[in-house]
Amino acid sequence: MTTASHSIQGLASARDLFALTKPRVMSLVIFTALCGLLAAPGSIHPVIGFTAILAISLGAGASAALNQWYESDIDAVMKRTSGRPLPAGRMDRETALHFGIGLSVFSVLLMGVAVNWFSAAFLAFSIFFYAVVYTIWLKRSTPQNIVIGGAAGAFPPAIGWAAVTGDVTLMPVLLFAIIFFWTPPHFWALALFVNSDYSKAGVPMMPVVAGRRSTRHQIFGYSMVLAAVTVAPFILGLAGAIYGAAAIALSAIFCGLSWQVARSQTSEPKDMAAEKRLFKFSILYLFALFAAVVADRMIMA
Amino acid sequence: MSEIDSNKAPMSREEQKAFQARQKQRAIIMAGLLLFMVVLFYLITIVKIGAGS
Repeated sequence: MTTASHSIQGLASARDLFALTKPRVMSLVIFTALCGLLAAPGSIHPVIGFTAILAISLGAGASAALNQWYESDIDAVMKRTSGRPLPAGRMDRETALHFGIGLSVFSVLLMGVAVNWFSAAFLAFSIFFYAVVYTIWLKRSTPQNIVIGGAAGAFPPAIGWAAVTGDVTLMPVLLFAIIFFWTPPHFWALALFVNSDYSKAGVPMMPVVAGRRSTRHQIFGYSMVLAAVTVAPFILGLAGAIYGAAAIALSAIFCGLSWQVARSQTSEPKDMAAEKRLFKFSILYLFALFAAVVADRMIMA
Repeated sequence: MSEIDSNKAPMSREEQKAFQARQKQRAIIMAGLLLFMVVLFYLITIVKIGAGS
């Protein structure tokens, strides 16, 4: 009876359906997809460009809904996620599954009909990758889960690019690689100071499985690879001096902050100033870097 | 069939009111989204026809 009264006879509220799409994650997806679209050579009609971004956002929302449909048991035991519609009992799982599948199909069809079928297939693959390969298959079985999850989050700029060009060249692959190598340091920095929650949920997050010391060293290792990948478009002549200067400056700070994390010894979350600093800067880093990709292309053109 | 399925049991007055309010809210949002899609598909069609000619 309690469940029925919470979800009112199985009818979820519009607000909860919206929350199921993880709007805050979606804002990053919209931004990176838009940057990929604007950085691509060639032109796209504003209406078609808008539709492409809309389809990518709906696809990301669909992935998030399918993720929460599968993970309601994990979400229920973690403080950060226990208020989500499913673990809080405001929606039944079937609704989330139907909503997720419906939104996936609609987003892919919209992309195919309005933009092109290559980017539609790409979008379909990214939803499959996040919902099945990451959420269902690898998240609970390997401490490298976040690396795999990062790949799912790295698709939007490449899909945005493909919406304009209809193909994928080296530059969108590098944009993909930047988010791919950015995700582990970004997420593990967070996981270091919210460690206890993941262990409670039984998710093999790196600090739980390999320990803090190894995680901190891996953060630094991934940061070095990230710096190399970030500077690559400039060195290879795929981007100009504006991007080059931004990439070098931002990556130098990123590596400096992750070096402080690598040297940190503390096990108390309240003392983890270095980890918190890196986490905050990592968000700024990605926004600034992608803005630089677009600014570089706009000014150079 | 002696047990009462709480999901199918008749709703109390307050429950029914809340249920109908939620139905109405969802219907209004759905109508807005459909209208948005109609306009979007109209614009896409115009752009596609323009590009084809």
